[in-house]
Amino acid sequence: MDVGAAPARSARAGAHDAPWFPWALMAPTLIVLLILGVFPFLYSLYLASTNIILSKPYLETEFVGLYQYHELVQDRRFLNALKVTAIFTFFAVFIEFWAGLGLALLFRRRIRGKAFFRLAILLPMVLPPVVVGLTWRYLLYPHSGLVTYYSTLLFGFFGLPAPQFLSSPDAALQTLIMIDVWQWTPFMFLILHAGLASLPPEPYEAAEIDGASSWRVFWTITLPMLKPSIMIALVIRTMDAFRTYDTIAVLTKGGPGNATETLNILLTNIGFGFFNISKAAALSFIILVIIITLSFLFIRVFAKKQLDEA
Amino acid sequence: MDAKTRPQRGCGLKAAASLAALLAFTAMPAAAQTERQKALAGATVNILAVQMPQYAPLWAQIPEFEQQYGIKVNLEEASFDQMREKSLLDMSQGTGRYDIFTVDVMWLAEYVSAGYLHPLTQYVKDPELTAADYDVDDFLPRIYSGNGMWDGAIYNLPIGAGVTGHVFRKDMMEQAGLAVPEWYDKSWTTERFMEAVEKLNNPDAGVAGYVSQPQRWFWGWTFTQLMHAFQTDETAGDEFVDENWNVTINSPQNLEALKWYVGLAKYGPAGSANFGYPEMLSLYQQGKAAGALMYTEFVAGDLEDPRHAEISGKNIYLHTAIGPHGKIDPWFGSWGLGISRDSKNKEAAWTFMQWITHKNQSLKALKGGTAPTRHSTYKSEEAKQYTPHYVGIYDFMLNTTNPDTRIRVPEWAEISDVMGLYGNQAWLGEITPEEALTNMESEIKAAFRRGGYYREGAKNPPQLWRDLSVYDAKPSSWK
Repeated sequence: MDVGAAPARSARAGAHDAPWFPWALMAPTLIVLLILGVFPFLYSLYLASTNIILSKPYLETEFVGLYQYHELVQDRRFLNALKVTAIFTFFAVFIEFWAGLGLALLFRRRIRGKAFFRLAILLPMVLPPVVVGLTWRYLLYPHSGLVTYYSTLLFGFFGLPAPQFLSSPDAALQTLIMIDVWQWTPFMFLILHAGLASLPPEPYEAAEIDGASSWRVFWTITLPMLKPSIMIALVIRTMDAFRTYDTIAVLTKGGPGNATETLNILLTNIGFGFFNISKAAALSFIILVIIITLSFLFIRVFAKKQLDEA
Repeated sequence: MDAKTRPQRGCGLKAAASLAALLAFTAMPAAAQTERQKALAGATVNILAVQMPQYAPLWAQIPEFEQQYGIKVNLEEASFDQMREKSLLDMSQGTGRYDIFTVDVMWLAEYVSAGYLHPLTQYVKDPELTAADYDVDDFLPRIYSGNGMWDGAIYNLPIGAGVTGHVFRKDMMEQAGLAVPEWYDKSWTTERFMEAVEKLNNPDAGVAGYVSQPQRWFWGWTFTQLMHAFQTDETAGDEFVDENWNVTINSPQNLEALKWYVGLAKYGPAGSANFGYPEMLSLYQQGKAAGALMYTEFVAGDLEDPRHAEISGKNIYLHTAIGPHGKIDPWFGSWGLGISRDSKNKEAAWTFMQWITHKNQSLKALKGGTAPTRHSTYKSEEAKQYTPHYVGIYDFMLNTTNPDTRIRVPEWAEISDVMGLYGNQAWLGEITPEEALTNMESEIKAAFRRGGYYREGAKNPPQLWRDLSVYDAKPSSWK
């Protein structure tokens, strides 16, 4: 080692090498994160272990341990919300995935006015969810909404009763799923379209030479190669569909009955309807655990498959 | 135009304008401000108000107040759906962002027991802050105390009050060969009501017999009135709880009421289970329903306004139907103004409140459809001319209404939600009326338990609905 050169070098690099240096660089971010992330997280944990009702400050605050969680998992409203959220998320993402994939495949072909159609398809996605909710609310307004009016006429023509979009429990959930599909299929399309564009042409050329059918090409080449994009699209969309709030709040607020009361709507009812923030905090932790488990499962399943294939 | 005459005309206009201004100012009796009020000039008062058409004529007078007192008034409006959430969020954080909140009587107990509102009587009795001719005893006693009283003090100053009932298309009733009843017709019973809507129902012509709003969020209104109407002499008062706070909502009388209400579905429009007030109103306004649920304060803006030319003048207004045991629903609805505990401008806020609820301003607002709260406005010529539907409820508001129709407890919002969820499910046929009442009972009980009602030594609120004499006290006698 060149002893003479060392001091000069370490003088320059000293600060960088010091163990505290990376921390100093991260400090502003860490402090902000601590204030905005960690503290509320810990405070929520504390809240969930008490019996605080925000609109009843006169009640004595007591430590109740896991009572709020215990109450929730036995609550029929919670179990219903869990079921509704699962149905909503599964069907919305399922339909969006296949519709998005179909569109993406279609757009690989030569189509006239491709740029225009691509823009038109993307439009619903860029609208704020509240606007989407309000637009559909007026379109589906009983008797006078555009969709209601014409569908009533159409069904009437065939002697069928008028469709009930938001008034019957089953139809309301289906309507909300279809609106979600309308709004978020473009997102699936966008990611899968980009994924398709990045696929190498060689396997396709080879398949063509071997005379593989397009069905076979799709299942054995396109789909496996597209897996990373599919995983990203599915994970993001599932998390997002799971958290859907605005559209449902504007359109049904969870009704009729509690047919469309998802976990998020229930959370708002408990937190801002009854101001029972301890119970709401407990519920938000349950939701957090569900989301973490779901993403973990997704990543595990896909990562494992990729490892196996490698 | 002759150039010579122009300046002269200008002078004449100016003179006329200044004369008019002079007359306008000298004609205002409230212009006599006290020194304390004058010292408040320059202050700003922020109001969080519910957005309802009947109060627009009140807020329209704000510029007049600002000019007169030099106090700036900022009005922020929130929809009815958001009002309680927005108020409680702000109140619980103690920001003092709003000096005045509009408070629905059903939320008063919740706000005041949490300590979020400031008592008002000290201001009412302060001659330095209240107009000499404010005349607090001009308010109907049950409206004044019913709207504002919790734990023996007044916290909410009434701006409007009303009763619930039905509106029917007179022409459709006549066409159907039905005798058109009058307001408070003793023969307008739940039985006759059901017969009438059955006859009026004409799905082939696209006209429903009656449209209600069974959506989950309104059962505190739609069902409570029926619970009252279906009681017997012995059970009246026990609609929700007995004297020991045992929840009694699952009673044979309430079951009868629920079955009756759910039975209305077959005479209503298809798919009305998720109808709220706007959906119900729009259907009635389009002439697609012969009758609808109504609240007196909505009549002027939503039905008799010239904008609704197709239906205005064709309606008759009826009180809710009399129950099978002869009971009339004693509905009491009201909104008022309360001062935030955290307001930094309480005196300026009060100055506005006593001005806007003064009989002069009430009378002006009445012409635009705001409900009367004072003897003088109920009996005025203006009421007869502009809002005749209010004149008929004067005696009722004076002697029959029960300010605790919706029991006066901080848990009301939760009770109403629980009623709505299971009531709506019963309307949909997802559960039976029996199951609905059983579920309501257990969840209302849980709400009371969380509120500490069943603990040893619990200090539960008095059940004033059993003896209304408290509400009949003279307004000026409140401490």
